[in-house]
Amino acid sequence: MIELIRGANPDAPAVLSDSGVVSYGELTERAEALARGIHSRSLSRVACVITDPVTLIAVLAATSAVGCEACSYPPQLHDAGIDELAAAFGHTVVLTDRILDLANAKAIAIDDLPEEGGNLPRPEGAPLLVLTTGTTARPKAARHDWARLAVPARRRAKSSDERWLLAFNLNQFAGLQVLLHVLASQATLVVPASIQPRDALNAMLEYRVTHLSATPTFWRFLIALLDDGVSPVPELQQATLGGEAASARLLNEVRRLFPQANVSHVYASTEVGSGVSVGDGQQGLPLSVLERPADAEVHFRITDGQLEARSSVGMLGYYGDVENEDGWRATGDLVEVRDDRIVFVGRASETINVGGVKVHPLAIEDVVGTVYGVQLVRAYARANPISGQIVVVDVVASADSDKEAVEDAIRSACEILAPAAQPRRVRFVSELDLREHKIART
Amino acid sequence: MADTETVVMGALRSMLRRKKDGSKAVTVDADLYGDLGLDSLDLAEFSAELEDELGSDPYSEGIVPRTVGEVIEFYGE
Repeated sequence: MIELIRGANPDAPAVLSDSGVVSYGELTERAEALARGIHSRSLSRVACVITDPVTLIAVLAATSAVGCEACSYPPQLHDAGIDELAAAFGHTVVLTDRILDLANAKAIAIDDLPEEGGNLPRPEGAPLLVLTTGTTARPKAARHDWARLAVPARRRAKSSDERWLLAFNLNQFAGLQVLLHVLASQATLVVPASIQPRDALNAMLEYRVTHLSATPTFWRFLIALLDDGVSPVPELQQATLGGEAASARLLNEVRRLFPQANVSHVYASTEVGSGVSVGDGQQGLPLSVLERPADAEVHFRITDGQLEARSSVGMLGYYGDVENEDGWRATGDLVEVRDDRIVFVGRASETINVGGVKVHPLAIEDVVGTVYGVQLVRAYARANPISGQIVVVDVVASADSDKEAVEDAIRSACEILAPAAQPRRVRFVSELDLREHKIART
Repeated sequence: MADTETVVMGALRSMLRRKKDGSKAVTVDADLYGDLGLDSLDLAEFSAELEDELGSDPYSEGIVPRTVGEVIEFYGE
């Protein structure tokens, strides 16, 4: 990572935010000073709890420069949560820009780290630990290597004129992917005041963002904001959806709002890395991804309805796990092949069993999501004495809607689903639990 | 009792309306299967609604009522 920064024009803007511009030269200087401090303290593994994204970028670059394995925790995590993760992942040092009171690890203030002068060692590897989002369970930690991660970023690097919005937190793999793409392109990262859609939209307009990669849930919020007609629409050249399955309807909506943009959706994960980018506007993946040449970065196969991947740019393994011999890993994504497309039907962990019939939340959410008045929807299982489980949907309705009419419309829209997949309860809620802009599935 | 009866019958009526079976008469004597034509998924939905509206449902207690009246009776015990 540090090499990407060092290789750029030092006067070019690396990061734009409300705190100002940071050039590639300034970022290099800052990272190298931090790297000296990390090296002189002989830190080989650290956790990072850093609220300021620009500081976190410098710290990540610094750790990569000296071969120290950094692991970024969610920046707002409370002390007990930090202690829990530190114990789980064997971290004894936490680098932070907050005031922390920890039992299991020693906190070192970022401001105390930088040192001037002196050479930096050339490390043999540049390890990195990335926590999974964990929409269903406590996060796992995936062991990565900066050099492997930089391969697809370097290959896809484009124009230094690109301005990418950071719509993920940098403790997420997707955030790191955006960061690496920006650095490999010597482009500019725009950091919003927060990754809430309103702040993100403000930053997009203020800093003339040209490229946005975000979750489908985030795009839905953004579309709802822009459909008010109050705010001007950012002039995007690239609109990327990733992190959750993108429905055909949502892809169409994004194209409608950003007609001049190239719209693509990506299949990537903390484990697999950057797997596929699909730009043909259709949902799912082209069947051709199953027939990739031997030297491809990521290979796919389908086993028992589940997508499996083998990746040379993905993780090395989970923290604490033994190595995986043949390299194939189940992705947890259930798929079906329909008309030369691999279509996502749901996560293996979220399958609902209604009287022995397996149904998947995504297909139900796709149908309910088309109903006028439905803003967000989550389908899930509820235990039932007769059928084992039934499908329940939680719905956020638009403010002016008549809930009874919306429920009737949902029920009749769902008549196209198999009886077992039809929602048997419709609950109206004021908001859905979101984790890192993905719908939380507990 | 009246409240329970209103809830039970209301739940059945709205389910039948959604099934386009709204013309079927929901009476105390109506047989859930024979007269109202409920299938197992309808019953699953009915039990969930009873639990939400009345705090319990006969099916979770292992009781399988045959008629509307038997459902109402469950809450009278």
